[in-house]
Amino acid sequence: MVSLEESNKIVAAIKSVSTYDFSDYSEKSFRRRIDKILEDFRMSVDELISRILRDKDFLEQVVREITVNTTELFRDPELWITLKYRILPRFQQNKSIFIWHAGCSSGQEVYSMLILLHELDLFDKAKVFATDLNTEMLEKAKQGEYRYRFNMNYLDNFDKVIKENPYNYEDKKDVAYEKYFDIDKKHDLIIMKPFLRNKPVYRKHDLVNDKNIFYSKFDIIFCRNVIIYFNTKLQNKVLEMFSSNLYRDGYLILGAHESILGPVANNFERTKGIYKKKSY
Amino acid sequence: MEQYKAVIIGGSAGSFQVVTRIISSLPKNYSLPVFLCLHRLKHVRSGFVEALSIKSTLPICEPNDKDPIKPGIIYLAPANYHMYIELGNKFSLSTEEPVNHSRPSIDLSFISAAYNYKRKLVGVILSGANKDGAIGLKKVKENGGLTIVQDPNESQVPTMPNACLQVMKVDHIFSTNEIIRFLNKLG
Repeated sequence: MVSLEESNKIVAAIKSVSTYDFSDYSEKSFRRRIDKILEDFRMSVDELISRILRDKDFLEQVVREITVNTTELFRDPELWITLKYRILPRFQQNKSIFIWHAGCSSGQEVYSMLILLHELDLFDKAKVFATDLNTEMLEKAKQGEYRYRFNMNYLDNFDKVIKENPYNYEDKKDVAYEKYFDIDKKHDLIIMKPFLRNKPVYRKHDLVNDKNIFYSKFDIIFCRNVIIYFNTKLQNKVLEMFSSNLYRDGYLILGAHESILGPVANNFERTKGIYKKKSY
Repeated sequence: MEQYKAVIIGGSAGSFQVVTRIISSLPKNYSLPVFLCLHRLKHVRSGFVEALSIKSTLPICEPNDKDPIKPGIIYLAPANYHMYIELGNKFSLSTEEPVNHSRPSIDLSFISAAYNYKRKLVGVILSGANKDGAIGLKKVKENGGLTIVQDPNESQVPTMPNACLQVMKVDHIFSTNEIIRFLNKLG
């Protein structure tokens, strides 16, 4: 593995030519990503640094490789089932629902939520914002096109969340995929319908540097499996920012195996990866 | 035997019953943490901890990111995450790309544990249908730890133990009963 000293040099090089600051990323996970990059590009640490310093496009590519971009349609069906039956129904009487997907990557989670909102007749009152560090990922999210073969397993998740009711096995709803996306097997594509694609506001946003860039607070903030790559200090800073930008009784949704460790945990009531902001 | 401070077990197809037998045999006051890194079928993602817990005398949990490691607890790598054992005795989880089509990756868990515990680690590879774990077990050995594979003749699917035997000299080739006896002597 690259040494801590080498890794610090890389962080400093990136910082000197961009606004990206990886100083408070989880040290081990940052070094593992660097190892992978050195291997993939067949480079030495010195070569990596000198290319970062002179080649902007390469730098963006490196940043994209450092950040982990895993996302799936309806990842963790249990979460979506909880949203469907226990959380979203509470918003039926609201005039609007403000939702922020922070670290949305290529957008599968955004589309999952849009589909669920639509099924629950909450689509029109939802204001949906999605951000990521990476502009290329944002473009993918906006495009809403995914590889069919790679994603077909996740259609089971769609069935579980949208068609079935785990609390009542006889309650089955026949929802055609075509209501929300077209499947083009010939071109190996899943293509989201335009009414879903056009709904969210996408913006570039860096959780390390930026505060809330929207002129609104939120009812639900998603930030799943993003802060696991941060150290505790940065985690706390980001979680404080989320907490102060949530309405009372709003929800912060982290990954299934992430937890809030710092004092900001006191602002929330927790059920698994779902944190509800206390109303006092 | 007192030198050992942790046990890590990797398994895939055909290992569920073996794992169940092993964890049901460990005594209540077992003094080591036990890490389980098992490939799971996509449809048994949830309920797995519950299924194992029924048979286990020790508490079983799927750790959260940055949770501290405690002795006498069986830690199961959560579905769809890689589980690393880090210096400072804590876990870190990641959603990085699958390795050898696997997330959790047995190799990644074993490599991180080998680096953390060095000669104080016991690594065990059980039945499985791919090669995941072979590089990891080799790292355990290179860092001075003790290495065990389930006897391929006894394994339901011997590919994984055999893959280990191909890349390294394993310390012990044990039947399930021998693994149980050995692990019981440790803590």
